Amino acid sequence: MSSSITIKQFTNENIVECQDLSIVLDRVEVLNNASCCIPRNALTFLVGENGSGKTSLVRSILGLTPTNNGVISIQNINGKAPVFGYVPQKIEFPKHLQMTVGEYLQYSANVPIKQIKTTLQQVDFPESHIEKRITELSGGQIQKLLLAAELYRSPDILFLDEPLSNVDDASERHIIDVIMEIKNQGVTIVIITHDWQMISVYANHVICLNKNIICETSESCICRNSLSKINIQTIQKATPDPNSVHDGYCYIQNI
Amino acid sequence: MDLFEVITIPFMQRAFLGSIMLAILFGLFGTFIVPRKLGFMADGISHGSLLGIAVGIFIGVYPIIFAIILAAIFGFLLARVNDYGRITQDGLVGIFLAGGMSGAIILLSFMPGYRPELMSYLFGNLLSIQWIDIYGLTLFFVLTIILFRMQWRSLVITTIHTELAYVINLPVTLSKYFLFIGTSIALICGVKLLGIILVSALLIIPVLTANQIGHSFKSTLIGTQICGISCSFMGILFAYILDIPSGPSIALLLVCIFLSAYLYSNVKKHTQGVKI
Repeated sequence: MSSSITIKQFTNENIVECQDLSIVLDRVEVLNNASCCIPRNALTFLVGENGSGKTSLVRSILGLTPTNNGVISIQNINGKAPVFGYVPQKIEFPKHLQMTVGEYLQYSANVPIKQIKTTLQQVDFPESHIEKRITELSGGQIQKLLLAAELYRSPDILFLDEPLSNVDDASERHIIDVIMEIKNQGVTIVIITHDWQMISVYANHVICLNKNIICETSESCICRNSLSKINIQTIQKATPDPNSVHDGYCYIQNI
Repeated sequence: MDLFEVITIPFMQRAFLGSIMLAILFGLFGTFIVPRKLGFMADGISHGSLLGIAVGIFIGVYPIIFAIILAAIFGFLLARVNDYGRITQDGLVGIFLAGGMSGAIILLSFMPGYRPELMSYLFGNLLSIQWIDIYGLTLFFVLTIILFRMQWRSLVITTIHTELAYVINLPVTLSKYFLFIGTSIALICGVKLLGIILVSALLIIPVLTANQIGHSFKSTLIGTQICGISCSFMGILFAYILDIPSGPSIALLLVCIFLSAYLYSNVKKHTQGVKI
């Protein structure tokens, strides 16, 4: 869909690099000359106010939203384009299509019938709902189902758009553990979230979108949340290797 | 009346054979058309293709050929509008329907005398189905089944979660063009049996009926096929016995079966205490 995506062999550690990205949707400028990167085998958080372009940025990288300007470069893995995984924040299944949870997994991720139960257990999805229609699931259950399918597909890069927004507390802990487990197995994970507590505990890398601009300089970058203002410049000073900080994205490590 | 005797009549054999193939095809296409809320598309294509029929009658060449070409072009345009057009799909359907119907009526008004074959194309006629129609339909049936086999997963995923289909690199565009063009051609193939006015019934109603009872994708798919094939078979039989056009006979039967399934589903939900 997007014409600006190139796949190449990098020498650095970034699996995705976006340069001077501009996105205009319905005549509204969502991103303006924004640049950022996603480090390989890391847990990257994408933060910013509502409407700042987080989802549009992810969708552009996935090729779902066309870009108006700029280049998205994606690193090859063993000479092949990486396998993407994507769990959107919200999805509405067509009401006139009867499909069970088990059938969804079979079609979307080619999960064999025998492995459906274990695939769902991985995300704490209730076993009793295997025969339930996907149109009857709650928001949290749908998120778990989509995540289960994506985990089974074993992507190289997994994009999660607010994966815990509808999930209950008990399942939240379980899903975070699963995410950390696959991250430790070498999967690059990008999570869109407003949960600063989670960021402070698990982040390897943070991309902060401030209005239309992905923090172009540390001075201009303030990520807001409901509790406090976090000045990225202050956090960058805590970065062990200041040389790894580039213009165009904010870097948080070992905070 | 002996059923065996009816089956041995050549035109009834052609009607039964054609209806089984059409019911299977319509059931498969309908499974993906109905959830996408494109039922109106079927009416637009069949009605608009009357222009192709009129052109064929006007110049004295097999009319279905022109209708198929016109429908295939329209199916292609409809699939294209989905991605790049500045007008909506239902808007284009409305334009095609109005343009095709009015063009056909104006063209037919230039032809002197009563055109009895026109009624057959409008409401379906068992006697109008020839062996050449069955041969052509068989070829289309085999090709379509092969393409369904190849595009099945892509069609299913695109219907339930289009973005996922793009992310996992399924041939979304190819399956979309197959669905739109294939449905358009299938509708015209069904014109001689069901007629332009009612051909969409076999595409839409069996899927809606199966949706009332089916619990899973598999059971709905099987239910759609059973409903489509049995209603077509019985509808043809009633049309022969009562000497009525086959289109209304099949369509009315489909509506009755749908109403029964709808009532059954609602009674069952009430019995189980589920809010409708």
